[in-house]
Amino acid sequence: MENINFELALKRLEDIVSLIEKGQLDLDESIKLFEEGMKLSVFCQTELEKADNKIKLLLADEETGELKIISQD
Amino acid sequence: MADFITVTELNKYVENILKADIFLNNFWLKGEISGFRLYRQSGHMYFTLKDETAQVSCVMFKSRNKNLDFVPEDGQKVLLRGQVSLFAEQGKYQVYVEEMQPYGLGGLFLYLEQLKQNLAKAGYFAADKKKIIPQLVNKVGVVTSQDGAAFHDIVRVLRSRHSGVEIILAHTTVQGEEAPMEIANAINRLNEHNYVEVIIVGRGGGSLEDLMAFNSEEVVKAIYKSTIPIISAVGHEIDFSLADLAADVRAVTPTQAAQLAVPEIALLEKQIKDYRERLTLAVTRHINHRSELIDNLMMRKVWKNPKILIEEREERLSTLQNSLLKAIISNIDKRHTQLSSLLSTLDALSPLKVKQRGYAILLKEGKLIRSINDVNIGDQAMAKIADGTINVLITDKG
Repeated sequence: MENINFELALKRLEDIVSLIEKGQLDLDESIKLFEEGMKLSVFCQTELEKADNKIKLLLADEETGELKIISQD
Repeated sequence: MADFITVTELNKYVENILKADIFLNNFWLKGEISGFRLYRQSGHMYFTLKDETAQVSCVMFKSRNKNLDFVPEDGQKVLLRGQVSLFAEQGKYQVYVEEMQPYGLGGLFLYLEQLKQNLAKAGYFAADKKKIIPQLVNKVGVVTSQDGAAFHDIVRVLRSRHSGVEIILAHTTVQGEEAPMEIANAINRLNEHNYVEVIIVGRGGGSLEDLMAFNSEEVVKAIYKSTIPIISAVGHEIDFSLADLAADVRAVTPTQAAQLAVPEIALLEKQIKDYRERLTLAVTRHINHRSELIDNLMMRKVWKNPKILIEEREERLSTLQNSLLKAIISNIDKRHTQLSSLLSTLDALSPLKVKQRGYAILLKEGKLIRSINDVNIGDQAMAKIADGTINVLITDKG
């Protein structure tokens, strides 16, 4: 689950669902995949809720030129 | 002086007057091209230049037109520099064109077309350089004016699809001389800051001149250089802007750009929930199927009544025991029969039986006398007979 992004997670989740639905796996394997799938679905759900719901401004400091983000609303 | 002149003399006279006029020797003329012809053999161009009420013939010789950076065509408005002279053979004056350029909007289009070709040649619009917009975007950069309607449209649509979306505005002017540099800088800043996952660059619709900043080389290059995917949204009144061509995705309006930038979160949530349900269902079905298999196995008689296994074996055992017993008994019987038959044979051969029939057995010193050589005359011997013994003396033999 390290270094995985939303897209990869969703794709993998999709693959796992159809793999298990085919029903050609060992019980052991499908339980393992089930666990992985559940983790992925939680990960995806968390990613969806990560956003910050703000409008911000990206500004460059007039003196230093350093970039900073300022909340607007 | 004669009272008449020839046509040739007239034309020559007019030509000299025209040539003598300083203005007519070098002036700029505006008009629309019609009846354009390019003579392949000579390479000269002939056309008529006209406005609403008048027209004039023009010629542009090969030596002059070889440097033209556009191909003139009918209907095109041009600005040209030239001189007037008389074409004596036909007795008409025409404009000899020294240089020519497209005029007005037509010129802008041509400028754009040329810039487009140059940038395309340099690879700025290459399809294989296009980046993919991530499926889930939580942070959107917007390069536009904070005062424009476009920004408000973008914010409204982004939020309606993804209520949690974070919007980073890199404010710029979107028209005027400073606009190209400001837009390019805003794109560069967002890249430098490297926080947002997608950038929308654009403005609402306007005239071609209003949108020119999005056709500038600076903006095209900044878009091309961006490592963050860029959606362009430059008005919708013209077919394309160069920014559109350089962008990874082109939206027709700012509203559409916002739709392309973020997913509809409700749909994604439903999709994930759906997957989770399917996952659970599939595994449950899997397990149920297996427990059904187990149930089936357990339904068999063996499991329901394990005693039967023992009973079957006990039965077999006792059968075997019986057989064994029978075999042994029959074997013993057989031996009995054999024995008694042997016994009766033996009995028949017994010397006792011989004695009973009246015979006697002769013994010398306890040993059976079988031959006359076993005894000598004068020996003592004993005769055993059925009811006792008799001592005998050997008196003779032979």
